[in-house]
Amino acid sequence: MTAALTTPAAPAARTAGVPRQWRWLVRLHRPALIGGGTLVLLTAAALVWLGGPLTDASAAAWKAYNACGFTPRCSYDQESILLYKDVYNWTTIAVLAVPFLVAAWAGGALVGRETESGTARLAWTQGVSPARWLASRLVAPAVLTVAVTGLLAALHHWAWAAGRDRIDTATSWHDMDTFHANGTIPMGLALAGLAAGALAGLLLRRAMAALAAAAATVGVLWAAVHTAVPYLWPSVTRVSGLAEGPLGRGLLVSEGVLTPGGRAEAPCVSSSMHSCRDTLADMGATAFYRDAHPASHYWPLQLVATGILLAVAGLLTYAAFRVLRRTTGTARG
Amino acid sequence: MVDYRIDRRSGVATYVQIVQQTKQAIRLGLLVPGDKLPTAREVVEATAVNPNTVLKAYRELEREGLVEARRGLGTFVRRSLGAAPADSPLRAELEDWAARARESGLEREDVAALFTAVLETHYPEQAAHPAPAHTPQGDPS
Amino acid sequence: MTVPALEADALGKRFGRRSWALRDCSFRLPAGRVCAVVGPNGAGKSTLLALAAGLLAPTEGTVRVLGAHPAAARSRVGFVDQDKPLYPQLTVAETLRMGADLNPGHWDADTARRVVAGGDLDPDRRIRALSGGQRTRVALALALGKRPELLLLDEPMADLDPLARHELMGLLMGEAAAHGTTVVMSSHVVAELEDSCDHLLLVGGGKIRLSGDIDDLLAAHTRVTAPAGADLAAHEVVESRTTGRQLSAVIRPSGPLPDDWRTTTPSLEDLVLSYLRNPAAPALTPAPETLEAAV
Repeated sequence: MTAALTTPAAPAARTAGVPRQWRWLVRLHRPALIGGGTLVLLTAAALVWLGGPLTDASAAAWKAYNACGFTPRCSYDQESILLYKDVYNWTTIAVLAVPFLVAAWAGGALVGRETESGTARLAWTQGVSPARWLASRLVAPAVLTVAVTGLLAALHHWAWAAGRDRIDTATSWHDMDTFHANGTIPMGLALAGLAAGALAGLLLRRAMAALAAAAATVGVLWAAVHTAVPYLWPSVTRVSGLAEGPLGRGLLVSEGVLTPGGRAEAPCVSSSMHSCRDTLADMGATAFYRDAHPASHYWPLQLVATGILLAVAGLLTYAAFRVLRRTTGTARG
Repeated sequence: MVDYRIDRRSGVATYVQIVQQTKQAIRLGLLVPGDKLPTAREVVEATAVNPNTVLKAYRELEREGLVEARRGLGTFVRRSLGAAPADSPLRAELEDWAARARESGLEREDVAALFTAVLETHYPEQAAHPAPAHTPQGDPS
Repeated sequence: MTVPALEADALGKRFGRRSWALRDCSFRLPAGRVCAVVGPNGAGKSTLLALAAGLLAPTEGTVRVLGAHPAAARSRVGFVDQDKPLYPQLTVAETLRMGADLNPGHWDADTARRVVAGGDLDPDRRIRALSGGQRTRVALALALGKRPELLLLDEPMADLDPLARHELMGLLMGEAAAHGTTVVMSSHVVAELEDSCDHLLLVGGGKIRLSGDIDDLLAAHTRVTAPAGADLAAHEVVESRTTGRQLSAVIRPSGPLPDDWRTTTPSLEDLVLSYLRNPAAPALTPAPETLEAAV
């Protein structure tokens, strides 16, 4: 009706430019980026310190300690040994905490806060389609997550390897915390946490609830991976004589005795003890066995576990897009 | 320039108020032939009334031959109304009369009633409102 | 201009298992109108607007926006949510810059700045420090800045003082006059919209009770005062009440009325209230064919 006086905007004149979301994503999450970045840099610096000067000092102290033998008065640098241990433990915890922090941030700030306050709807009516909006909130953080977890795990692995044969109390490769922090599992967990945070934010539309749900999901996934890891690659079985007890080092899967009826639980670990010999004889045991993973299985185990976590992350991402599409009725794009 | 004031409680349709106030301005010589009426946009920004209401009022004025719309330029006053510009002798006399009425103690309402009564005697049965010519939907626009 | 700005066909939205926020809604809003969506709180107004904005998917039926699926029309539609969500950590100026970045190719920085400028707002103020009315202004600036063909506003004036309300309503009307923008705004206060709107959608109990141009709707109804016991059966009765020896009713006459009945045209508020008081009154939503003929 107002056409007489006016020129209605011509739809054809609209250029279909791509909305520039990235800089606003960075701007909106600047405090988190600064805070997270600081934590990552501190952890990285601590790991470099750990692998370099701390390892050297601790190794020297161990050397001095071992040289002491049984001399009653002998001095060695106990401080360095304790400091190494502390820094090692804290940096390991820091590396393992990254997936939880990513998940909590994704659920709470990245998606949950936007769905709770309605700013997601603002974005969806400001030229950014819901799918594009979600994609922007997953892609850049995913790249950043991979970079951060990759860097920290690599540094952790390097620092751990630097002390491996020089520090007597250095953790073995299959110590569970070290096992996780040295490889790609934190990366898989963090990506799954990111996707879980996005999904929880879309479903719950409450920042705090999504934060808790995403962190809990990472906890459950971690427990599941922790339990499943020994079975993710065929283990090596070593059979040993009754007098030797079960032998074989590495990541333990199971152990016991071999009897004519098959594998059985070991009542005791060496026939050199009287009572044990009798019990083993009663059972008809012929040998001990132990299923374990040698150090060479480290990467196969890590990669299979990471693959499974990535698949979970993919499923969660798919679910998030599905939920978004179902609620907003976005036909395409 | 006219400054439209819409009184929501007058019971008079908004477009009629715009028509009346435009005529009033022409009658008082505030608008003379050749003057441009404010654009619909200017009117609605100032009054917050619906644009179509303003267009309806302008069309009504155009139908009465008071204004003409020139495409792309705006709406212009075509002719004057009555013979009572703001500074005419008739107005001076009325001012004089009103001042005397006030001095003699008449209230605003008394004066209005008196004026209306005299108006009715001299201008009987003048339609107060222009009748809407057609529904807004039928209007070609 | 024959493509309607908004067209719903048997539109319905259910939340959860059984609570229908909106059901069986069919209407058609021609382009260029300023439409009031009126109804009590919880009537389904927000749901209707969110469906049109492509923020919710319908459970049944369809809604078409500017002739397209709501998702496809997104860049041509402006929307302001009831809560006026904005990023609290951004400043006013940053929020407008974001609008420019998110709407490449069709951002009108001057309009956006003009909306904000009216409020005497410091561009360096953070959104979290703004009053409700100031937030409304920034939210409207974002919606108008993308120069939409259809503007959907959910309770836009609720947080504003009368002065700002008048000024912003004037600004909206100016946009509608200058660009032919179709404006749809909801409110539970009819008086607030009476002068600015020329089209009405009355929503009640999840249904469309009235839909059409306000002049037509008013013309279709008559308030009659008749002797008690007068027979209204020939007409559609919206509301009737007998006080003593007098019957007062709002009807849709379907023929000439007796001469001894006093008849007046109801006011918009009168009409809306009579429908809201009488949920069983027959709805008046012209079929699309009738509207087509009228446009």
